[in-house]
Amino acid sequence: MTARPSWRRHAGWLWLSLMSFTTLLILITYETRWVYPEIHAYFSQTGNLTGQQLATRSRQYLQEGLGSLLEAPDSDAARQEAGFRLELAYSLFDIGLYRREYACTEPSLAELDALADRLEIGGGLTPATLNDHLLGPIRCLTEIEMDQLERRSAVTTAFVEETRRHQGVVLGGSLVIFLMGLVFWWMHERQRRQAERATRESLRWMARALRDPLTGVGNRSALHQDVMAQPGKPMSLMLIDIDYFKQYNDTLGHPDGDQLLRELALLIDTSLAGQARLYRMGGDEFAALLLRDDGGGLAERCATLTARVREAAMAHPGHPYRRTVTLSIGAACFVAGEAGFASGYAAADRALYRVKEQGRDGWLASEGADTVEENGKV
Amino acid sequence: MLARLLSRRAVLAGLGLAAALLLTVPTLAGPDALVLRHDGGATRLSVAALRDQADVRFSFFDPFAGEELAVRGLVFRDFLVEHFGEVPEALAFDAWDDYRVTLDGWDDPGWILVTHQNGAPLSLRDRGPLRLVERDYGDRDPANLRNFNDWVWMIRSIKAVP
Repeated sequence: MTARPSWRRHAGWLWLSLMSFTTLLILITYETRWVYPEIHAYFSQTGNLTGQQLATRSRQYLQEGLGSLLEAPDSDAARQEAGFRLELAYSLFDIGLYRREYACTEPSLAELDALADRLEIGGGLTPATLNDHLLGPIRCLTEIEMDQLERRSAVTTAFVEETRRHQGVVLGGSLVIFLMGLVFWWMHERQRRQAERATRESLRWMARALRDPLTGVGNRSALHQDVMAQPGKPMSLMLIDIDYFKQYNDTLGHPDGDQLLRELALLIDTSLAGQARLYRMGGDEFAALLLRDDGGGLAERCATLTARVREAAMAHPGHPYRRTVTLSIGAACFVAGEAGFASGYAAADRALYRVKEQGRDGWLASEGADTVEENGKV
Repeated sequence: MLARLLSRRAVLAGLGLAAALLLTVPTLAGPDALVLRHDGGATRLSVAALRDQADVRFSFFDPFAGEELAVRGLVFRDFLVEHFGEVPEALAFDAWDDYRVTLDGWDDPGWILVTHQNGAPLSLRDRGPLRLVERDYGDRDPANLRNFNDWVWMIRSIKAVP
């Protein structure tokens, strides 16, 4: 069973959080951009076909027509205008809904028809005749208006209630979605921090694993890693061995031996002017890794280090030939890479072996075809 | 003298009445023309000619009439392109019942300028002579007339609004 990668867990929480906030945004946009304008368009009282009741408009035209006829009953122009108003009134009255739901509609339309015919034929129209023809339709239209107003009021009330409930649901839903978004974000942030802590911890452990705890310099693994990190780079490797270190320990004790290792690590680093990386390979052996494009020759560095150690004249009571600490150094050049490093390491080791064979306290550097040797044995 | 004065007044009153009648003639003459207004100019189109051009026929349930109607008319978008050269952004309508409205979104072949209903030319009484309806109003409830507030009746003039 494989563990789910942490980035996927984070992406999951983050994704959920973003989804929550996006949903909230969509909800708010939908409510403001589409729902409310639609409500406004539906209930608006003006500016559209049914904003004002058709029955109201029809009644107004009937009353205007009646007014014209009553003012000038014998005028052709007045009769013509009244006829025009009656036609408009008829068109707004002759609505399927009115015919279906108000019994007075059909007889009223028939009355309007009859009046239109009389206007067409001509002849006198007394106020009584006009009343006979128009009173019924006007009364019918008024009844329709009142009923429609009541219905509209009932619909509006129901709608207001529905809207209030809807707003409550939307508000509650928005709050829940918002809180969910916050919780998901918090989960994401928590996991991200945990992952960061774990990564830092791993890096710390990895760094520790690559350090020599006694001297603080790198260990063998660190050397390998540093070389492999720069493939193809021309490099130099110095293997540095403390001569007769066992005798030093036997004579002065291990605590002093540890102290000597620390001091030598510092001295080697100083003498190489901080341009080399230093590693402890185990026991009394150090390694120094140098980049070859730094200008300095390998032999020169070996000589400098040997001279500095001699100058330091660190006491070594157990040394069979001198009373101070001496080093054996084997050095070689190589090109970074798995094979290059192996051959470079082997060459440096061979050089070191030869120095030791020749009595220690000296160095041997192999720089390409040239081999430079110094043996300081007295 | 008095008689001449009265006679002059009678003539003036007669002239005034005649002028008043002339001013009302377009209204009283009946809806036999459609006025198109565009770029400051006005064009009168004969409603009879439009009736002759009407080449779209279909039946649908008219929510206002509350019944199935067989109608005939013109595709309004094509009509606009023919007379305005394009489909204007918005249109201001003026109706014979003094209803005025400005609406947009006419680049839609679903809008029909209706000229006939059940085989007869539309009259004022039928909410004509020209009426704009949607050939297919989808799933909108025809029982609720507020769903059809964009329809325009008794069209008297159309103005292109830039």
